[in-house]
Amino acid sequence: MSLFSSRSRAGADEPPHFPMHVLLVLATLYAIYPVLWVLSIAFSGKQSLAIADVPSDPTFWDRLRAVIPWPADVSLSNFSAVFADQPFATWILNSAIVSVATTVLGVFLACTAAYAFSRFRFPGRQSGMMSFLVSQMFPGTLMLIPLYIILVKWLNLGSTRTGLVLAYSTTAIPFCVWMLKGYFDTIPRDLEEAALIDGASPATIFWRIVLPLAKPAVAVTALFSFMTGWNEFILAATLIDKETMYTAPVGLRFFVGGFSQQWGFFAAGAVIVSIPVVALFLYLQKYLVSGLTAGSVKG
Amino acid sequence: MSDQPDETGKGSHRLRFGAGLLVGTLLVAAVGHRLLTSSLGETARFGEDRRAVVSLRALTDVVARAGSGEAIRTVVAGFAKWHPQVAATRVVLFDGISLDASTDSADTGENAPPRRLKREEKDLYDRGQRLRAAIETNRAEGGGRKDEVEKERLPDGSVSLAAPIERDGEVVGMVEIRRVPPPPAPRPSLLTTLSYVVAPVLLFAVLALVIGERRLPLGVLAALLLAGTVWGYGAQSWAKLSRARTALEADVAGQVKTSAARAQELLGTLAATAAPVPETPAPETAPEVAHAVPPAPLDPASWDSDAFRRPLGLSDGAGRVDEAKVAATLEAAKTAVRQTTILLGALALVLAGFIGLGGLAALLGTLKTHRVAYSYVLPAMVGMVLLVFFPFVYGIVLSFTDQTIYNSNAPLTEIWVGFKNYVSILTDFRVAKTAADGGLVFNYQNFYWTLWVTIAWTVTNVTYGVVVGLILALVLNTKGLALKPAYRVLLILPWAMPNYITALIWQGMFHQQFGVVNQVVQMFGMDPVSWFEKPATSFFTAWATNGWLSFPFMMVISLGALQSIPSDLYEAARVDGASRWQQFRSITLPSLKPALVPAVILSVVWTFNMFNIIFLVTAGQPAGSTEILITQSYKFAFEKYQYGYAAAYSTVIFGILLIYGVFQNRMTKGTEAI
Repeated sequence: MSLFSSRSRAGADEPPHFPMHVLLVLATLYAIYPVLWVLSIAFSGKQSLAIADVPSDPTFWDRLRAVIPWPADVSLSNFSAVFADQPFATWILNSAIVSVATTVLGVFLACTAAYAFSRFRFPGRQSGMMSFLVSQMFPGTLMLIPLYIILVKWLNLGSTRTGLVLAYSTTAIPFCVWMLKGYFDTIPRDLEEAALIDGASPATIFWRIVLPLAKPAVAVTALFSFMTGWNEFILAATLIDKETMYTAPVGLRFFVGGFSQQWGFFAAGAVIVSIPVVALFLYLQKYLVSGLTAGSVKG
Repeated sequence: MSDQPDETGKGSHRLRFGAGLLVGTLLVAAVGHRLLTSSLGETARFGEDRRAVVSLRALTDVVARAGSGEAIRTVVAGFAKWHPQVAATRVVLFDGISLDASTDSADTGENAPPRRLKREEKDLYDRGQRLRAAIETNRAEGGGRKDEVEKERLPDGSVSLAAPIERDGEVVGMVEIRRVPPPPAPRPSLLTTLSYVVAPVLLFAVLALVIGERRLPLGVLAALLLAGTVWGYGAQSWAKLSRARTALEADVAGQVKTSAARAQELLGTLAATAAPVPETPAPETAPEVAHAVPPAPLDPASWDSDAFRRPLGLSDGAGRVDEAKVAATLEAAKTAVRQTTILLGALALVLAGFIGLGGLAALLGTLKTHRVAYSYVLPAMVGMVLLVFFPFVYGIVLSFTDQTIYNSNAPLTEIWVGFKNYVSILTDFRVAKTAADGGLVFNYQNFYWTLWVTIAWTVTNVTYGVVVGLILALVLNTKGLALKPAYRVLLILPWAMPNYITALIWQGMFHQQFGVVNQVVQMFGMDPVSWFEKPATSFFTAWATNGWLSFPFMMVISLGALQSIPSDLYEAARVDGASRWQQFRSITLPSLKPALVPAVILSVVWTFNMFNIIFLVTAGQPAGSTEILITQSYKFAFEKYQYGYAAAYSTVIFGILLIYGVFQNRMTKGTEAI
């Protein structure tokens, strides 16, 4: 009954749902096909980038079979081989260390700076915040050459995790500071003032009162810093030339870049690397969106 | 603590000027001492090198006149006896690729010369060939560009030198000597330097007691004392340096004289031993034995020479120094010392004035008042300054230099080229030329080609993202649509994937032989496409990849905006009899604008700088035709190693983004006003 009434009410000017579903299903297929493709290569147990072997005189159906993302034989051998025969575990570990260190350092630096920008009025506050914003416009390659010279030639931090952590956490700072500052601004000051009257030091107020209240924003900042470290490719590829020091992105590229064609290893690795970030991203994307657009409106 | 109550007042002028003078003199002393030490060391090295060159040139001249291998060995042995500073001498002749004489401890027993060079000694042979090539180049160009005497500093501080052996105007071999490490260079005394700090400060303390708390006299006194210190230290340093230089010249002249005498002596021995045995020459040097013309007499005055074997002419061959010429070369050094002194003095004066006049106190006051705030900002700011702002400025500075991987250790002032890089990037309009068959041939390395690709790339990608994202958002926004959350999550997936993985996946899918895309193409009976071999198809692959990963962002933004439109607006429009298209134009689009405009702005910048997709999918194939600006500048820096040029290229990109930022800011402000 209710279904009928909703149809009759909408029927006049609401378009029917069926073509919409057709469109959405097609769009969804488009969106997930490459993901299914990499999954079927990963589970194929082979290094070939063809999903199925095509006979020498293929029919239309042979071709169609080679397009459908389902491996001919399902096998986990790529996953076990990538850990057992390839240094992929080392690379994942490098990535994890770098990303976690970037998160800790980046969030610490961003929290303290954002708190000062939000709560204190001091000479240089405006220009400091503005300089953070402008730094977002610096093109990556303009920074890459001097960073390479500074980190590799002057500080001798080429092929080290420390160099990457330093570079990543500073590049993540401006976005995190602006995001956190916006959140700190919304926390009422009454609590802090009350604590101040009770004799709490500024440090106590910051660590014990403000930070716990800002947990959601800190979580998003942490996610952003983590993803910066986990997904970054080009800086790592430039700074690191020792195979044992590769991060996961550089390692994955190592499997299929140049004349190397180990698509099975690449696909298995890509699946392993993607799962945590995709899950985190889907879970927290609405915060990221609001943070991004808020920043850009202000800019 | 005693001046705590004084904080509101001016504090003690005596104390402040005293501190200013102390810091100023300390700066002068510290920097001056370092500069003097390095200059003295440099002078010592310079002298050591010149003495080495003189002895080497003397030796090569004698070796060139020695006919047989035996004669060469006699000469080298005699030379080694007289030159304890030479650790090892080796003579290589190109004809026969042989080591003809050596005093190196490794070349004894079965390695003893004469013998053919071994495979591991290719470096030695190459060095000789380098010298030969350098001489030929310099002769052809009529100038000095490539070193004709090679000098290499070894890790232990010793020098290895190599000079060519010339016979009748042809380079036939090379002499290499390795010197023993030189004695440590004289260092200026630290005590003397310190006295330049202690004396003026003590003097100031005494006189300040007499003058009392009067600001002007105190300031003048401190400035005078500081200027005096700077002048005194400068004069003292110059005296030391010029003394060292004069002594060096006399020493080198003496070396030329002794070398000349010994060379003459060696030639005499040669003549004596060569005369009785002319019928048994070494087989490989036989043709050279008989000189068509008698060799020219030795010219010791030419031995004291630069790397291009051009005589410096600072002394004659008989040990006399040409005082006038030496004085002329000293004049340049004197100007350098004077300039450094003035610069250092000015710096010290500014610093001392800043402290003395209370600037430092004011600065410290501000820092103290806001110390909590500053302590919170400091860590992030230090990080940003060191790893973001400084690299940015350094990158811009680099863009005015000619730095490449080969001269990356040279000081920037030496490779400064001004706006040359910018000029060569921006004023080269030769984008295309007409080929022989009448067709256009594009120069894919040209900036304007890449700029055009980048603009096409950005516009098509953002348009695609907005159109697809908007359509999907409109459909998803339908009320009561089943499975909406599932569609939404699956459609966001391309955005959630790390983009370098996306790029590598699509690169695989476009593979010519095994890629899925070509399977589909063949399914419909067409021939497989070699995607990366033509600019248009190669561009398409990158575009398809980026389109895939960029539409979800636009979809999410649009969906958010659509959901915030109150439904009564539509109902009111329906009541007024507005058609669906009219509703879309006058309600939906205007409500989308505030969200879509910033999203488009952001997306333009992202796409413009979308490094990973181009770099990993097409890698610029074919022949760099599908590079965008950002990947092109990377190629210049890390594949062609032209750091300066690449920095200028990146600065141009920054300029374009800056102009775009200012422009869009004005545009959005303008539209807001309407």
